[in-house]
Amino acid sequence: MKYYHHYDLYCFFTATLTYDTLRFGEFEDFPETPEPVWILGKQFNKDEILSDITSRMWFTYRKNFQPIGGTGPTSDTGWGCMLRCGQMILAEALIRRHLGRDWRWVRGQRQREEYISILNAFIDKKDSYYSIHQIAQMGVGEGKSIGQWYGPNTVAQVLKKLAVFDKWSRLAVHVAMDNTVVIEEIKRLCMPWLDFERGACAEPEGPLEINGCLEGACALAEEALWKPLVLLIPLRLGLSDINEAYIETLKQCFMMPQSLGVIGGKPNSAHYFIGFVGEELIYLDPHTTQPAVELCESGQIQDDSYHCQHPPCRMHICELDPSIAAVSSSRLKQSDFLLWGRSVDVLSTCRGGLPMFELVDSQPSHLINTEVLNLTPDFSDSDRLERFFDSEDEEFEILSL
Amino acid sequence: MPPFEKTQHPKPFKQRKSFATRKQEVAGIRSKFPTKVPVIIERYHREKYLPPLDKTKFLVPQELTMTQFVTIIRNRMTLMPSQAFYLLINNTGIASMSLTMAQVYKDHKDEDGFLYMTYASQEMFGYWEPYKTLLYEMVTDLPAAGNIVLW
Repeated sequence: MKYYHHYDLYCFFTATLTYDTLRFGEFEDFPETPEPVWILGKQFNKDEILSDITSRMWFTYRKNFQPIGGTGPTSDTGWGCMLRCGQMILAEALIRRHLGRDWRWVRGQRQREEYISILNAFIDKKDSYYSIHQIAQMGVGEGKSIGQWYGPNTVAQVLKKLAVFDKWSRLAVHVAMDNTVVIEEIKRLCMPWLDFERGACAEPEGPLEINGCLEGACALAEEALWKPLVLLIPLRLGLSDINEAYIETLKQCFMMPQSLGVIGGKPNSAHYFIGFVGEELIYLDPHTTQPAVELCESGQIQDDSYHCQHPPCRMHICELDPSIAAVSSSRLKQSDFLLWGRSVDVLSTCRGGLPMFELVDSQPSHLINTEVLNLTPDFSDSDRLERFFDSEDEEFEILSL
Repeated sequence: MPPFEKTQHPKPFKQRKSFATRKQEVAGIRSKFPTKVPVIIERYHREKYLPPLDKTKFLVPQELTMTQFVTIIRNRMTLMPSQAFYLLINNTGIASMSLTMAQVYKDHKDEDGFLYMTYASQEMFGYWEPYKTLLYEMVTDLPAAGNIVLW
């Protein structure tokens, strides 16, 4: 583990070597700070942080698992960090869905059945819903051979495909492309039983008002109205560095109750960002190689190594690579999603930051017919242009509607 | 494979032509096509996954929205809908997709009169590729290596 970190640092972060080495080595305690600490939509006191961090699922590099695809790699060290971050953020979605935001993992305690099912979905074997095996193999369809590096969008696309097979959680996973969230698309996905073609869809109003009742019949009733949504928004907040105008907006992402955090990283190292304090991001780091966990005869899983039991890592927000995916969930209700939408709108206008993405009601109708948009140069225009730019080396390409 | 592709990057447009030439060019083309916006689109110099475009200079109808414009460029590159593609204005941020080109032009045009955009996909994360490539080469050296599955 140490070796890889140093290799990493020497290659890419020589400027911050001392700083990062210290941090990796000792897991520096959380600082005393007057500034609020935000983790996944909740504000924390210093003494509550560790218990919340420990309750997240922590997926790291593993070695000695079953070979991927039968003859492939038995370890993901060096290439699996973004895949592990994808696992962490989806596990958070499952925790939110099945156990709730305030659920706590306590070491050695008998765990709830839902928790065991969640953990099972990520165990490093070929038939777990979201195992490293499944993610790496599904990536082939995205043009990634097994062992190749992923970006936030790659893992988002793969998780979307894998979630279809998870009949237990029945998540509606949506990846919003071109930094645009189209509300109509989300509604189609989460309420597939509504007839959108006819336009006027009778959306049931009454039961949406039921609040805070997550168990039993009430939850079932609500689930029948809205499939639990996981919304991934892959973004690029700058070219080589993050544009500082996005920083306030990014922080806001961690303050919304629907937040599942952000997957991204420093150049070459993927991290799962779960919150912030002051100008620092708080993250879970997959860059530790642990041995794969064997299932006991009884089907019990030794789960200690799936929870980060040291203070979380921190880094300055400006070190963030601009390629990220922001993720949120709306567990039970359409109103939850619409509320999230409203907060997005509000925060983008009132905090003075640049909005990271845009919410629109529906996809403009002209996009349905992309043929129209596959514009070729307008010949009448070209003729005029040729005359005008006879001697030019580079010509304009003229687009016309 | 694109990740290993070594592409020759031409100098950015701004460095190929003087300010005076660029300004003159805009003045000329704007007088001919007053309802179209002159746009320079270049590939981010560290981009490894998206193909280069054969053109740099575009004249775009001013009523086109950013969404439409991005769709045109995506189609031109024959990208899958699930592929990441970002068009950054002045190398800094992404314009709201519902804005028209006229609005974007008004707020972000350069002093020379062109609107500059750079396209990029997303970075990939990992740090072991040299080692992996080495192993891959070792594997391909084996006899009977006809159907190698990259691991």
